[in-house]
Amino acid sequence: MDSGNINFKALWSAQKIEQPTLQNLRVRLDDFKKSNRKKIIITNSLLSATALFILFIWVYYQPQLITTKIGIVLIILAIAIFIISSSQNLNVLTRINEAENNQQYLKNLLVLKERQHFMHTTMLNAYFSILSAGLALYMYEYTSRMAIHWALVAYVLTGSWISVNWFYLRPRQIRKERSKTDDIISRFETIQAQLNQE
Amino acid sequence: MVFEDIYKEYWQKVFRLCMGYTNEYELAQDMAQETFIIVWQQLPKFRNESSIGTWLFRIATNSCLRQIEKQSRYPKTEMPTNLAEEQQVSQEPQFQLLYKFISELPEADRIIISLELEDVRQSDIAHIVGLSEANVRVKIHRIKDKLTQKFKEHGLG
Repeated sequence: MDSGNINFKALWSAQKIEQPTLQNLRVRLDDFKKSNRKKIIITNSLLSATALFILFIWVYYQPQLITTKIGIVLIILAIAIFIISSSQNLNVLTRINEAENNQQYLKNLLVLKERQHFMHTTMLNAYFSILSAGLALYMYEYTSRMAIHWALVAYVLTGSWISVNWFYLRPRQIRKERSKTDDIISRFETIQAQLNQE
Repeated sequence: MVFEDIYKEYWQKVFRLCMGYTNEYELAQDMAQETFIIVWQQLPKFRNESSIGTWLFRIATNSCLRQIEKQSRYPKTEMPTNLAEEQQVSQEPQFQLLYKFISELPEADRIIISLELEDVRQSDIAHIVGLSEANVRVKIHRIKDKLTQKFKEHGLG
């Protein structure tokens, strides 16, 4: 069966390792569950704290204009989108059938990677646009009470901060993510090619 | 199927598979444990559509494949010369050489030969990997030739 006179199978089974006790594996499983639970708890408390803080502003300062209220809702929405997408990434999007054959699994992984990247980009765009719109609306009520030049200063400052995010940080994030995704995709494709080589 | 029994029966096999894939003891142990965590979670979904071995090896090989996502972006550089390596290598037990040689193969070949050496039937390997049986047979033959060649280059075999 073996080529030459090397008994590969005998050599192969010479590799031994002590079996960790089931206890050991359970501890690891618990750690895994705990860290997952911790992530969910952190996400939820961040989200609730932000929402509470903004609601507090709403109640305490009693905004008069509808623009301010819409602004607040949009800001909460943006933050929610950001937190949920960055944590749900771990769960919903990475779920994939682990018991497929390797060929199918690689195909699914490639689709998954693309989807993750798309989600990442879309979420990031949605987050920045909604947050900017929310801020602009929210500011209106307070700036309208200021002298015109101070109102302008406030909008210019906020506007330039948003521009830095939109034109510099956002594309940089997307590029970084893209190159990481491309790298992984090309390595999966290499394995696919190995399998399909005649 | 009880998880404890599966764990007892397959632990060594899964570890060797991971070891053939990476040739790094600690990493292979980690990967094997991760595989069993998935097995433990997925076991209620196992429907006897395939044998438990085929099912489990699919999970194990897939988690080997997915290792790419976790690895650092740039693969480790190969040792530049054979010279320095050879002196050191000839003192290694032959089985360690075998694992080393296997881990240097293309990823798909590592999986196929590891399963073959683990005495998995070729028809089952075909089901695990997703290729035809004939194709698997040809590949195994070629991989064994490659390995024999590598042993010969080291003055063994």
